[in-house]
Amino acid sequence: MTDRVDLREFIGGFVVEAAELVTAANASLIDIEAGIAEGVPRPRAGRDLFRALHTIKGLAGMVGVESIVEIAHALETLLRAAERSGGELGRVAAELALQGVQAIAERVRAVSEGGAPAPVPAGMLEAIAAAETTIDVVAAAPSISPELDARLSPSERRQLSIALVAGTPGWLLSFVPSEANAARGVTIGAVRAQLATLGEIVKLVPRTVTGAAGAQLGIAFDIVLVSAAPREALAEAIAGPVERVIAIPPPRPVPAAVEPEVRDAGGEVISPIGRPVVRVELGRLDELQDQLSLLIVSRFRLEREIAAHAERGHDVRGLRQAVDLQGRQLRDLRRAILRARMVRASEVLEPLSLLIRSLARSSDKAVRLELETRDAELDKAVADRLLPALVHLVRNAVDHAIEPVAERIARGKPRLGTIRVACREIAGNQLELVISDDGRGIDRAEVARRAARPVDDDVALLEVLCGAGFSTRDVATRTSGRGLGMDIVRRIAVSELGGDLRVASTPGAGTAFTLCVPLTIAIVEVFAFACGRQSFVVPVAAIEEIFELPDAGVIPPRTGGLRAPASLLERRGHAIPVVSLGAELAIDDGTAARKALVIRRNGEAIAFSVDRMLGRQEVVVRTIGDPLVTAPGIAGATDLGDGRPTLVLDLAELGRAVRERAL
Amino acid sequence: MTVALHVTFRVGNASYALPASDVLHLESYDEATHVPGAPAYVAGIVQVRGRLIPVVDLRVRFGLPPVEPTIDRRVVVVQLGSRVAGLIVDSAREVVKIDHAAFEKPPEIIARETAGFVKAVAMIARRMYLLVDVPRVLGEELSHG
Repeated sequence: MTDRVDLREFIGGFVVEAAELVTAANASLIDIEAGIAEGVPRPRAGRDLFRALHTIKGLAGMVGVESIVEIAHALETLLRAAERSGGELGRVAAELALQGVQAIAERVRAVSEGGAPAPVPAGMLEAIAAAETTIDVVAAAPSISPELDARLSPSERRQLSIALVAGTPGWLLSFVPSEANAARGVTIGAVRAQLATLGEIVKLVPRTVTGAAGAQLGIAFDIVLVSAAPREALAEAIAGPVERVIAIPPPRPVPAAVEPEVRDAGGEVISPIGRPVVRVELGRLDELQDQLSLLIVSRFRLEREIAAHAERGHDVRGLRQAVDLQGRQLRDLRRAILRARMVRASEVLEPLSLLIRSLARSSDKAVRLELETRDAELDKAVADRLLPALVHLVRNAVDHAIEPVAERIARGKPRLGTIRVACREIAGNQLELVISDDGRGIDRAEVARRAARPVDDDVALLEVLCGAGFSTRDVATRTSGRGLGMDIVRRIAVSELGGDLRVASTPGAGTAFTLCVPLTIAIVEVFAFACGRQSFVVPVAAIEEIFELPDAGVIPPRTGGLRAPASLLERRGHAIPVVSLGAELAIDDGTAARKALVIRRNGEAIAFSVDRMLGRQEVVVRTIGDPLVTAPGIAGATDLGDGRPTLVLDLAELGRAVRERAL
Repeated sequence: MTVALHVTFRVGNASYALPASDVLHLESYDEATHVPGAPAYVAGIVQVRGRLIPVVDLRVRFGLPPVEPTIDRRVVVVQLGSRVAGLIVDSAREVVKIDHAAFEKPPEIIARETAGFVKAVAMIARRMYLLVDVPRVLGEELSHG
């Protein structure tokens, strides 16, 4: 199998980036806390915090630190709830967010020290989830008038907000002192005392009243009051007309549109909510696909049966129509399942930017990554297998292609080297990925000298580069080690995925590797086993049971029963024919067999004896189409990682052959 | 123009030739994955430059006795229409130019001994080259049957 992506490749980049984000998150939180203390909302700090957490979550997901993902996710949810309710984090929620960010920081530190990050602290997720209800819905400030808004202190604003949100009306009263009022004893002092009995005075502001020509006419007082008293009572208190009593509208909740947008390097918007998403284990989708395959097989049987009826002269038009309709529906279902397996190429390629960061830091190169993924999508299984190849190519580009800064400047190139990874869907359900750099290009003459063979064109160049262990470098670098690993790149792209690999290099200008891989592949979980000197695999789904062959207890072949080498074995009260796979495949006499694989065909079990089991793994099955090697029971071939083909057996078909012979 | 490049190789004591235009490349040969149920002359499948191809053991195909494998053994990868297959040979020699006119009908004895897998012979520099009938060697009848 493919060597899995070594996570250590990304850890360096992850630690740097996550530490920066934790710092940013803490700064936002301090801002938010200050806001709570002052009663002034800090929506921007909230959004910054959200963005930092969202990015941390994504990065942690890539390097597989589940506890960080969970904490960041819970906090994100909390922040979203705060944002939606038009408020800001309450004290409780802010404290929890602080603890959460602290916990994330601890885990990032554990990762950087090479240790295993601790699980989520007990109760933290629950506490964060519960905190949602404690969010103060006070932050969005009510608006009275621009002048007054500016004069309200944070605590006054908070006082007003709380009252309004709680349902107590707010009022703006305008008291104009006059001789007549004074004569009646209605002074500002008296008004104030009167209003205090009716409600709470938030603010009292004197202002000058100006006339038409700007002439100063006198003084007036604006009073902000929260009171449940009727408007008329308030008017009476200020000895003025009701027009001088204006209701303050409650604050409008912050519109949902302020949901922060997170952009990736390619400028593509990754919506934190977007459409609802369910995370599904890949194995479950495989299961779905396996079931679909069975459906397709049973549909073929249906077709055969219909054909048989038609031959007997029966009217099968209705049946045909129904089965044709079913065929179309199965195709649609297949397409829908494939779609469910698709992931955005941008998500797959994101780790590369982490890689570039840590590579650039550990070398004297200045380099940036340009990702161009548009809307391309590919099968998760393809993506997982492809990533190691891309890692190799990007690492090679940083190590061997991009020149050191001084050299680039001397050559009149931009100081910053560029590695571009572009992908797009092309005809034939293929994804084309181009990994290009603006580095020094590959010196064909040098490659030819080292390989001691002519390298006339890019095709020949690729051949040499992909020779195992070939390197144009004498010194092993820390990042690339010795050798370019191009043999691995080709093995993944071509042998494993059945795709294509090309190279185009212009000395002095750069190199571009083009990989074409299928958007989807058939991944099958198989048992590997040995039979004689040869190993085989068989799909796990085809095997009902595996058991140890007893030394005794095998009933000798009956006369007139299955032809040798089948014998019968008692298994759970049933006699199962045991066929020696070694003998059946003419490999050996089967006497070394110690295990038996049981398959069931049309309700009848058959056991195939094999020497020993080698393990269970996921493989990509490739068909072998040449008529020279088309034989019954051979379903295809796969590569178990040794570069040699291993045959995939169809034991059901072998079982059928055995049965037919027995009849 | 009737002079064409030919890839030449040895199987047993004879030298064989194939038009270079039918040959994709030469590979060293180690071992093939045996395919149970395939014809006896099929050594199995190998992975060549990412491709899975069947390989035919020309010694077996030509009815020659097996020999101890040497490091000179090669796989001549040939293309026949859309099919790609390998021919295991004892050693692959140089590429020579052979004028089409130099090829003659094989003598009766050679035709018989090679079971019809040689469609022509040519004498070049006092050496006889046998032109292999690739479709026949690859059991072309199989793909139509």
